[in-house]
Amino acid sequence: MNPTDLIGPASPLGNPAPFWFITFFKVLGLILHMIPMNVWFAGMILVAVFSTFGKNHSLELAHRLSRTMPAVVALGINLGIVPLLFTQVGYYQFYYPAGVLMARAWFSVIVILLFAYYGVYVYSLSVRSNRRTKFALTSAWISSIAFVLISFLFANNFSLMANVNDWIHIYTRTSESGAALGTGLNTADPTLIPRWLMMFGIAITTTAVFIVFDAVFFKRKDTSDNYRKWAGKFAFAFYTLGIVVYAVMGSWYVFGALGESVLNPIGQSSFMKILFPLTAISPGLVWIALFAQRKGLRKATTITAGTLQVFVITLNAVSRQWVQNEEIFKFKDVSQLPVQVQWSPMIVFLLLFVIGLTVVGWMIAKIAEVEKRGAEEIQVK
Amino acid sequence: MHYPWWYVPNFTAPMLIAGIATIHVFVSLYAVGGGIVLAGEVSHAYKSNDRPMLDYLRTHTLFFILLTVVFGAITGVGIWWTIGLASPLATESLIHIFVFGWAMEYVFFVIEIVSAFVFHYYWGRLDPKTHAAIGWIYAISAYISLVLITGITAFQLDIGNWTPEKGMWTAFFNPQTIPQIMARSGAALLLASLYIYLHAAFKLRNDVHLRSLVENRVSKWGMAGAALVTAGGAWWYVNIPESAKSALAGASALNILTALIFLASAVVFFMLYFGPYRHPGWLNPGFAILYFLLGIAATGTGEFIREGARKPYIVYNYVTGNNVLVSEIPKLQASGYLNGGVWTRAYLKEQYPQAVTKDGNIDYAEMLKLPVAEQVKVGKVLFQYHCNDCHSTNGFSGLDRLTQGWTRDMISTVVTHLNKAHYFMPPWCGNDAEAVLITEFIQSLSEPTPAGMKFSEEESSEKEKTSNLAAREESDR
Repeated sequence: MNPTDLIGPASPLGNPAPFWFITFFKVLGLILHMIPMNVWFAGMILVAVFSTFGKNHSLELAHRLSRTMPAVVALGINLGIVPLLFTQVGYYQFYYPAGVLMARAWFSVIVILLFAYYGVYVYSLSVRSNRRTKFALTSAWISSIAFVLISFLFANNFSLMANVNDWIHIYTRTSESGAALGTGLNTADPTLIPRWLMMFGIAITTTAVFIVFDAVFFKRKDTSDNYRKWAGKFAFAFYTLGIVVYAVMGSWYVFGALGESVLNPIGQSSFMKILFPLTAISPGLVWIALFAQRKGLRKATTITAGTLQVFVITLNAVSRQWVQNEEIFKFKDVSQLPVQVQWSPMIVFLLLFVIGLTVVGWMIAKIAEVEKRGAEEIQVK
Repeated sequence: MHYPWWYVPNFTAPMLIAGIATIHVFVSLYAVGGGIVLAGEVSHAYKSNDRPMLDYLRTHTLFFILLTVVFGAITGVGIWWTIGLASPLATESLIHIFVFGWAMEYVFFVIEIVSAFVFHYYWGRLDPKTHAAIGWIYAISAYISLVLITGITAFQLDIGNWTPEKGMWTAFFNPQTIPQIMARSGAALLLASLYIYLHAAFKLRNDVHLRSLVENRVSKWGMAGAALVTAGGAWWYVNIPESAKSALAGASALNILTALIFLASAVVFFMLYFGPYRHPGWLNPGFAILYFLLGIAATGTGEFIREGARKPYIVYNYVTGNNVLVSEIPKLQASGYLNGGVWTRAYLKEQYPQAVTKDGNIDYAEMLKLPVAEQVKVGKVLFQYHCNDCHSTNGFSGLDRLTQGWTRDMISTVVTHLNKAHYFMPPWCGNDAEAVLITEFIQSLSEPTPAGMKFSEEESSEKEKTSNLAAREESDR
């Protein structure tokens, strides 16, 4: 049977925007989502480990991370909707079948996420109120494990989207009278594990940068010089670990798991000849910045490291998109689907997007003023 | 038909949407109404320099965030998640029509999240004017989210003048949008007041003075909400399509519930007036729980009616409940439902290669030559893709009970005249051979008329079913 027989027809409505627009917002959304998602992915593991085994500075780090984690998770979840929305617009013929084939696991993400998020809150509130109980500590562990599980399920769905060759096998193995039971997973796909753990590597690096950022800019009045020094050293070591995971998994992914049909076009595209190696080596730039401030954190270097890390994430998101397109286009070139542009809603959205950014920027400016002023409470007259 | 169907035994996949959507609405309406009440009350408390009230509102904000930002946000995402699994074609269609509507909604979601956290975590550290302004930023962005999502869900019930050539705005400004926004705005304010009563009844149990103040002030929001729900609901009823009106009038469950929701709204209004508004201070935890449950019951009922009135469509006149485009039905009826489905065709090719023609289509003549037991199996495939969106085999809305005591002819007649027998069901989308196959399957499920009923003595369904099956198997041999 031809695997493409399982790809459903195109929507008669046509895509509401050009394919480049859909891809742009899908990638932009992924970049914005990856920043907080990386922090909770690797950060909650640090919170759980250091809250259980840590002392002094490492325990302080766990507490600091847990205080900001509720906001990080909230932002990450909401920003995660953007790439999912545009995935459903541009890649629906691949996204929905993959989701249905593993529907039980995919549906369970919502339940797991609820536990993960409330676990974050339980621990965070316990830290804020100085009442760390066993229940709170257990909650931190549950959250960290839940986030790891969710990331595995995400890697499953997004690799299954492109693994059209295996759809029929998973479907016939896990269906009842032609309907999917939703118990399929993409575990036979050789790209699954390296792809999943490569993201974990990036998550470690982003969290390392976040630790430095937190030490330099958040709660400045309460942050001791000793902690800052320790945070600089720890972030550097943690980033190094992230690079190792990223390099090992990336090598496995590119040289051991990706097929010729994806790798060959890299050699033919001059853009990819530059982008792929740059994606591979880009964390090295941040590593140098962190290396430079092992013995003392500096604002300028921290901002540079943060900016470079966003660059690392951007390169990863763009490369992933390129690989996904190569994997999917060999079955169906979805960039060629009919388009019926909805101009006025698009313009209104773009205007609101700019207004939204401005409003969020204004609020951030206001809290930056407060942080600069110090932590004192204003008394109402 | 474009996508694999997700089989959830005994329950049906779309019921998962109903479950998540209902609990989400209880919290999301509070997220909107609570935001407006908090912004209004914080502004008032700053102006009147009411420190105890501000302290109370601060504790309520944490409760509000824990419920709305976590549970509300995740169940909101959960609806989205689940509709993609349980109704992928309808979701695909809605997303292609409303992608920018949803994108706008997410802009406001992000503003909501940021403002909610700043409002709570920087309470007392921002100057009052900025703090109140951030409260209003939250309230306005939450309200715009409500407006945007209501336009989309209203479209599902009535597409108005929209055609695929027309854009999002025509779809958004359908006849249902404004009345539903009005009703939901009211429900948001009403529920918010009931949540605040619930919280204050426990939190301020020993502070009668402050509790009285909270009750009195919040009751005004609640009464305004109850009035809006009633007016919006009535306007909504006037505007709904004929089929929805018929369903509400014809289905006993729906017409009782419709009457109940108006009654419950009126009761809550008077209870608010004579209770917290006129006699603040006597609201104990027991009464607060009662109020709250009444509000939840009214909201849940309203959502149930809204969803029930839409049948047999997910998107009115565009996508049917069983995930078929209305425009595709004639073709499916001519060439076969199983043959027209991407996944059904693939499945049958794997299972019955002998019943597939050289050009890859299903050979229905060969299908009808299969032994009865195999025909029943093929009939079940039809059931999964045609019926399982509303019916299970022997669980929720099970066909075993719905066809209890039916003869083979009755089943066949209803199958081939589905929308004539029940206008809230989609038409039969298969061909004649498929009608035979699904009849075999339903008959294999159908329970006999309950024993002991007087008029079942002479025609035992069980006997008939057994003899029919035996006769078919004999003819196969």
